[in-house]
Amino acid sequence: MVKNNPIRGASRWVAASMLAILLCLPEAASTQEEVASAIRRYKERELSTGYYEQYEAKPRHIAPLVGVPGVTRGIFPYSTSAAQVRTRTRLADSHWGIKFYKNLRCEYCHVRETRDIHTVRANLTCRQCHGGEPIASLEHYYSPFNPIRKHAYVCSKCHEDSSASFASYVVHPPNPALIGTMKTFPVLFYAFWIMIAITAGTFIIFLPHMVAWGIRELFNKKEKAEGEPKRK
Amino acid sequence: MNPNENNRIKRFTLTHRIFHLLLILSFLTLGTTGLSRMYIETSWGKMMAWVFGGYESCLIIHKYVGIFLICLFLAHILYLLYKIDWRQFPRSLFGPDSLLPQPRDIKNFFQHTLWFFGLSKAPRFDRWGYWEKFDYWAVFWGIPILGITGLLMAYSLLASRIIPGWGLNVALWIHRIEAILAMAHVFIIHFFIAHLRRHSFPMDLAMFEGSVDLAPARYEKHSWVARLEETGKLQGLFVPQVSISIRVLFYIFGYAAMCVGVFLLIGGLINSTSITW
Repeated sequence: MVKNNPIRGASRWVAASMLAILLCLPEAASTQEEVASAIRRYKERELSTGYYEQYEAKPRHIAPLVGVPGVTRGIFPYSTSAAQVRTRTRLADSHWGIKFYKNLRCEYCHVRETRDIHTVRANLTCRQCHGGEPIASLEHYYSPFNPIRKHAYVCSKCHEDSSASFASYVVHPPNPALIGTMKTFPVLFYAFWIMIAITAGTFIIFLPHMVAWGIRELFNKKEKAEGEPKRK
Repeated sequence: MNPNENNRIKRFTLTHRIFHLLLILSFLTLGTTGLSRMYIETSWGKMMAWVFGGYESCLIIHKYVGIFLICLFLAHILYLLYKIDWRQFPRSLFGPDSLLPQPRDIKNFFQHTLWFFGLSKAPRFDRWGYWEKFDYWAVFWGIPILGITGLLMAYSLLASRIIPGWGLNVALWIHRIEAILAMAHVFIIHFFIAHLRRHSFPMDLAMFEGSVDLAPARYEKHSWVARLEETGKLQGLFVPQVSISIRVLFYIFGYAAMCVGVFLLIGGLINSTSITW
């Protein structure tokens, strides 16, 4: 084995590989930062006052006599085929027909959607992404949330240069531990449980092992093993 | 503590100790900045974030220290490639000085466990005990997992060109659970083995001082010392003990690191129910 100075050897490796990494990685650009309190970029894109929850557009007028199955029941309900395009996922006003809608707050119904990183950590309000009334259904053709333009109309308010792929990040993710997630987001479900299994396995084996070891050593002095030759 | 200067034998080279020291510093910084972001809803998290200049600068520090740790890992890979005895290549990996897990380690694990209950004689460990190999490979697997998922999230716009954007949801959870596993393992099991069990108490200085007392080593790593004696290498490994002031420094540093770890562990557990996961 070649003799070498270990410090010089190690520091050379560290320096060379750090340099290589820094050269290969793109600069940590400010466009990739998470925007929590800084709303400057958001304001460049948003025309509203920014005073959400205080001055809001009223919800759309409800036609009293026309109903959508499962949504409202009027005297003249839509035909089945007409109703299909007017389900909640395709309406121009997704909250259309909800009673006392203008007196309700978003979290009255959407509880889970208030508990994720964007809302809790970045302190975004619903309106900052979903906009004022009427809030169109995700699949409505002109909705800013339609996947064909969500990245440009919604995500890029903060995450400049976001792509359609980037916009497929699930902002309100399901709880990965729940069995229902196996259907809605299987990769997340399995990744979560595999990682949990590794973690649990490690501790199930090594915690009792550690405790037993600790107790055993209390009864065992630091001494020579049995039958061991004495040091010359 | 034996004051006899001829009683210490070398166990870790300076390179090993520098790697371990940098690993401690970066691991604790990453753990603290990561947890202060994760727990930012609680006063505990806010207090930790304050130390690093707030929620956003925590992330900046976390990213750069993370990249540093990835560099350190790559440097370690280069070091390994440099250190492997290529002339006897496949065989040298399975020698007693190798950290590669071997069937003997599984046998040792069970024999050691039986010894805890008085059902077997204590196994005679060679240079690396199975728990040391486990610690090594836990880090070796942990850094790529955390590093790759971390880079995906740090360069999220770039990453979403390679993987679908929803992959970042998955990356976040893998990063989170792996980080919790790594911290819990280090702060509970590694610290217990290195500090609290009777034979190490109050602190195993081997990784800081680079050397161990011969008599305990003969007891704990019997096959290793016996092998060194057989091959006549033992005489060349005696090193003088470091001065008492340096030892005090090691104890202070080691206990400071342990306090940070226990603080993160307890704070994390207590506050775990009051955050949005």
